[in-house]
Amino acid sequence: MKLFKSTHNFGYEWSLVSAANWQKYPNENCPHVRHVDVLNRKLDPETGVLITERLLTVEQNVPRIILKLLGTDETQYVREISTIDPRKKTLTMQSVNITTSHLLTIEEETTYYEHPEDKKQTQMSQQATVSAGSLLSRWSNMVEDFSLNRFKHNAAVGREGFCKVLERFVVMAEPQPTKESF
Amino acid sequence: MSSSVGAHCTELKQKYDTCFNKWYSEKFLKGDTTPECEDLFKDYRACVMITLKEKGIDKLLAESRKETQFPSASSGDEEAGPNSA
Repeated sequence: MKLFKSTHNFGYEWSLVSAANWQKYPNENCPHVRHVDVLNRKLDPETGVLITERLLTVEQNVPRIILKLLGTDETQYVREISTIDPRKKTLTMQSVNITTSHLLTIEEETTYYEHPEDKKQTQMSQQATVSAGSLLSRWSNMVEDFSLNRFKHNAAVGREGFCKVLERFVVMAEPQPTKESF
Repeated sequence: MSSSVGAHCTELKQKYDTCFNKWYSEKFLKGDTTPECEDLFKDYRACVMITLKEKGIDKLLAESRKETQFPSASSGDEEAGPNSA
């Protein structure tokens, strides 16, 4: 099993970050995320908590040996459940692959929350576990290493892409002084 | 805006997304929990469900939901709501 953990600051307040999250894809840094679908949504009228289940369709180049070991092609599906608490100002997303899950599991949990010392900023903490099952036997370490590196790359481009989405979001959210279109 | 896994569902999806994003920023974040966009979601979701079945993704989801259910009822309410898996 391999672990990944990171934290990051965004210089935008939590409300904006949580709204921009829904528009993170598509972005030019993350061409691997091809489709995003909302499967379920539930809003608790008392707590105001919004829970969403989504399906992400991902297509990425994968070395042939890994495709053969996993018995798959380059399309992967990821199931994500996110919970937004607008009063506590937290957005937590848990995702797991649902393709090849009997051989390899990549679980990720990302939380966006108001920076404890600066309300104008948002912190993100992300952690993931990559574990290849025993069916892969002597290949499991190699598959885990590959998956972890791929995850780190995707996490980094994901952040960069999200930064650009946030920048555009701020521009669009500002009152426009003239009628020029972008 | 992102596209749907079912190409012919993308238009329905984007109509729903537009409604949802507006509601999210203008109502939800301001404490208004009156749900909106439900009809649009129903139409879009119905379309996606067909695609999920065609591609066999429904079976993959069912496996995953056995381990982690999507919450289907509010606290104390045991009935399966319209959003249950």
